[in-house]
Amino acid sequence: MKFSYSWLCDHLETNQSPDQIGEILTNIGLELEALSDYSSYSQFVVATIKEFKKHPNADRLNICKVDDGDKLYQVVCGAPNVKEGMKGIFAKDGMYIPGTEITLKKGKIRGEVSEGMLLSERELKLSDDHEGIIELKKDFPNGTDAVTALELNDPVFEIGLTPNRGDCLGVRGLARDLAAKGAGILKPLDYKKLESLEFESPISWNIEKDGNSCNYVISRYFKDIINSKSPDWIQNKLISIGLRPINALVDITNFITIDIGRPLHVFDADKIDSLLNMRKANDGEKIKALDKKEYQLDSTVTVIADKNNPLAIAGIMGGSETGCTDNTKNVFLEVALFDPSQVAKTGRKLGINSDARYRFERGLDKEMIEEGLEYASYLINKICGGSVSKNTSAGKLDKNTHVIDYNFNYFEKVIGLHLSSEVQIKILKSLLFKINKITDKSCIVEVPSWRNDVIQPIDLVEEIIRIQGYENIEIKSPYATHEEKEKVTSSLNNKKFSVTKKIKKTLISNNFSEVISFSFQSEQAHNLLKGDSSLKISNAISDEHAYMRSSLLFNHLEIIEANRKKGFKNLSVFELGPVYNDSKSQENILFGLTSIQKYNNKHYPINKFDFFSLSELISKIINSLNFDMKNFNIDRSQSILFHPGQSAELRMGKKLIARYGKIHPEVLENFPKLSNTFGLEFFYENLPIETMYKKKLNKTHDSSFQFSEKDFSFIFEKNQNLFEVHRMLTGIDKKLIQNVEFFDDYNSSEIGDDFKSVTFKITIQSDEKTLTEEDLENVHQNIIEKISQKFNAKLRS
Amino acid sequence: MDNQKVLQDVTKEIELASSQEELQIVKVTYLGKKGRITELLKSLKDLSLDEKKSKGAEINLLREKVQALFEVKLKDLKILDINSKLNTEFLDITFPPPEVSAAKVHPISKTFDDVVSIFGSMGYTIAEGPDIETDFFNFSALNIPEDHPAREMQDTFYISDKDEKGKPLVLRTHTSPVQIRTMLNQKPPIKIIAPGRTYRCDSDSTHSPMFHQVEGLFINENANMGDLKGTLIEFCKQFFEVQDLKVRFRPSYFPFTEPSAEMDIAYEIIDNKLQIGKGDKWLEILGCGMVNPVVLENCKLDTSKFQGFAFGMGLDRITMLKHGLTDIRSFFNGNLNWLAKHGFSLGEY
Repeated sequence: MKFSYSWLCDHLETNQSPDQIGEILTNIGLELEALSDYSSYSQFVVATIKEFKKHPNADRLNICKVDDGDKLYQVVCGAPNVKEGMKGIFAKDGMYIPGTEITLKKGKIRGEVSEGMLLSERELKLSDDHEGIIELKKDFPNGTDAVTALELNDPVFEIGLTPNRGDCLGVRGLARDLAAKGAGILKPLDYKKLESLEFESPISWNIEKDGNSCNYVISRYFKDIINSKSPDWIQNKLISIGLRPINALVDITNFITIDIGRPLHVFDADKIDSLLNMRKANDGEKIKALDKKEYQLDSTVTVIADKNNPLAIAGIMGGSETGCTDNTKNVFLEVALFDPSQVAKTGRKLGINSDARYRFERGLDKEMIEEGLEYASYLINKICGGSVSKNTSAGKLDKNTHVIDYNFNYFEKVIGLHLSSEVQIKILKSLLFKINKITDKSCIVEVPSWRNDVIQPIDLVEEIIRIQGYENIEIKSPYATHEEKEKVTSSLNNKKFSVTKKIKKTLISNNFSEVISFSFQSEQAHNLLKGDSSLKISNAISDEHAYMRSSLLFNHLEIIEANRKKGFKNLSVFELGPVYNDSKSQENILFGLTSIQKYNNKHYPINKFDFFSLSELISKIINSLNFDMKNFNIDRSQSILFHPGQSAELRMGKKLIARYGKIHPEVLENFPKLSNTFGLEFFYENLPIETMYKKKLNKTHDSSFQFSEKDFSFIFEKNQNLFEVHRMLTGIDKKLIQNVEFFDDYNSSEIGDDFKSVTFKITIQSDEKTLTEEDLENVHQNIIEKISQKFNAKLRS
Repeated sequence: MDNQKVLQDVTKEIELASSQEELQIVKVTYLGKKGRITELLKSLKDLSLDEKKSKGAEINLLREKVQALFEVKLKDLKILDINSKLNTEFLDITFPPPEVSAAKVHPISKTFDDVVSIFGSMGYTIAEGPDIETDFFNFSALNIPEDHPAREMQDTFYISDKDEKGKPLVLRTHTSPVQIRTMLNQKPPIKIIAPGRTYRCDSDSTHSPMFHQVEGLFINENANMGDLKGTLIEFCKQFFEVQDLKVRFRPSYFPFTEPSAEMDIAYEIIDNKLQIGKGDKWLEILGCGMVNPVVLENCKLDTSKFQGFAFGMGLDRITMLKHGLTDIRSFFNGNLNWLAKHGFSLGEY
């Protein structure tokens, strides 16, 4: 919403400066987005070029003698349009030029003294025009300030209005709110009701009872008018806010739309039939609108139609065929009330953003219908002449007002600020609410017709504090009660958050960098991953982001590929974020991807990363979360994304905790630079996070008695799960077996294709004594026996 | 005299020994089973008792001297050996290591952490909700009816799948649906924050189709707008690490709060850098307000008994402001050069 200061002053008698008005508007919830203020330009003055000659050392430059009414200055100027006697805008040395952001300094240009500058529009930030210097059309005396000469004394405001304030989509509404805040006095609207309505309108209305969006419409017919240019005062107002004047009738309707926020429409009466109908459009009906575009309509759209054709899209835009031109002689003015939500729906469907739609969908003042009719009639009659018909209307205008039962205590309860009932009433009255049945405790508030947004008592509280000022709300220090603190520490979500933090720390210390990628994936990735079809985004911004991601794999492959192209050799990234199984199930996971490029450095050896590096990383994460690898099972992963022989799944009970391994070469086909890439998915939400917090730290073993280490080599069946062997070993003698480390394996024809040899080291130590040979031998025998029996394994000699 | 001669000889030979092996040979020559000193001792057996005593003492003295000489020499030789070994082990310690860039935490992570801990200290527990939401949670329960212009404040992504009522699912446009989910599941008092991913179909240097918000909700019997102001001012002071923080609250509109406010903090530009806290320009930080009774009713809460406030802010935005970052898109493209510059190392996290 744009308007100029002088426009506002048509409605508001005020002694507040534009800056003050801007601040007040923001403080009452009508946020000032921009205020063009040229008052500092009064330092620039009108000056005449008395004479000029070519610069001796530069073809394109001229040396001008410039008179600012005080004295003559020498100015070197490069503008092509300098001529003798021309009046322009002059800036002296020491002045700041807003368009170039430079302060002028006295100096020589190519050897000639220059004492100032003649300015272009761009240098004054008035436009992008830098073709030449400003040439004043009117004859202002030299020395006149630029604000006067360029008519810049009318600052323009731009307000960002929230959708609830349809009443402020006219300058008058803003003035009304400013007056309530005490920024001035609201003036009466400057028009007179026409007295001689001479004839019956030859055109009349019908509203179909088909559920269309029109509740009420009222019109007048204007006969024998002349539609030429609108007067300067209307044109200047429209120009000041960036609207182009067209002709008197169009300008008047545009003016009234901005001035009082009331959209209305004028038909060229000679282009329409004698009966206009508000009705729903027929499917497939078409209309060419004022924006010169053709729209295909359907039965959700309300149109204004005559016998044959739709003439306008109700509340949104008129048709181009029946609009007023310079030749229009007779006019039919329509002022109507349309249902906000139907207008919104239609506007969105057809993709039309018009001033009318913007206002109708925010809800208009129903009582302003007649005012709009009278105001427009007065202006049309005054500007275009002719004679005016009596009213013709259809439908019914509901004149009931909304009332609210209001309790004065409610204000303090919500705001935390005591305000007497007198002050509350005074503020409501200043906003033109009517107050009835006042008691100590309560009153009945009648809401003005333009405030459709005020419905409940809480809305009145807001109105009162809005005018009283949010700065007056007392600041109360926040605190946490004991119960609240307890809740924070015991909350599962907070624990989950700590888990993610621990995971992040582990990954960072293993040189994985944290990235955040979009929750989307491309259609290609979606298909490859066999994502659920319910994850398709209907209005995706691009094919790359067509689906919600079912894996982070492709996002991260792209990230790694992009970074590799920048020259990164060792790339390890991770992300904690959601994946979507289908539209109703989301899981937050850790995803990591690492790609190490081999390179030779004699002293700093090749960074080795393989499946076992990943396995170790998993073990570090598990340990950082206070879990023991022994509580997990491991198996080959069946996932098609991974190398079938170099990928694993880690489970706790049946729950999948991690899936990791080398990325399948087929997946990497489109990423030629990433051949040696490993990935991991860690489903931390599947961990029993509650128990992890309850659990005490693992028993710490610390003994000074002598320890003994012994290596064992067994031959197992080839597919024997060594995790199980490991678990069994640590359980054989919990008092004495302190550590089990697997450190070698091999296959050979000697032991047979179906078998493997595995070597592990056992550390034996007691907390109580130095163990004897016999003690040790007992443990050894126990191990050999149990392993051989349980796993059908043979000890190698 | 024999003894003197032996001592001279052995001293000379020890001196000449240039390795531990040579020294060992010398040692055997003198102190071995058939060594010269051993032989001297053996020769005593034919002497008288007195002679045995006096000569024996002399020879033993000699032996001790010689042994000491051997030990000194052995020590020297050992040091020589170690030194010569060390000499072969010299490396070019100036050989430069390859460039390693330490891994970093994403700035958003750091913000998440700050937000959770600051609000945690005020008693706010974390709450969660899904990214793919229903129309009810994202809009209608929040008093944003269909066809209301407020819906156009936010450009919504739609999912092709529909909810139980046949309405298309949406990507949540804000974290506010978590308010509804929490109020439907928990009895007051409720004090939660809900940080998470949010989505709007918009993309330029300050808008990203995916971004982050944190929602806050405090419902009890008397939480009022003064508490709201105090809470948010305290948060901003701690988050931006500015004790003397100039702020303003101005009226605004959100369908789910009434009265609604936007909070701005003052800033100025000093040496091309944004300084937060004072100055005469304002930065919009967050939206907030008292929870609209319509919303409480939608969540089956008794509005005569319960009231409270809610707030929501863009985590990317406050991150950008705090750290002087200008392009939100760089948050999400995984550029490791950017991360190396703007991320946080383990010590800072």
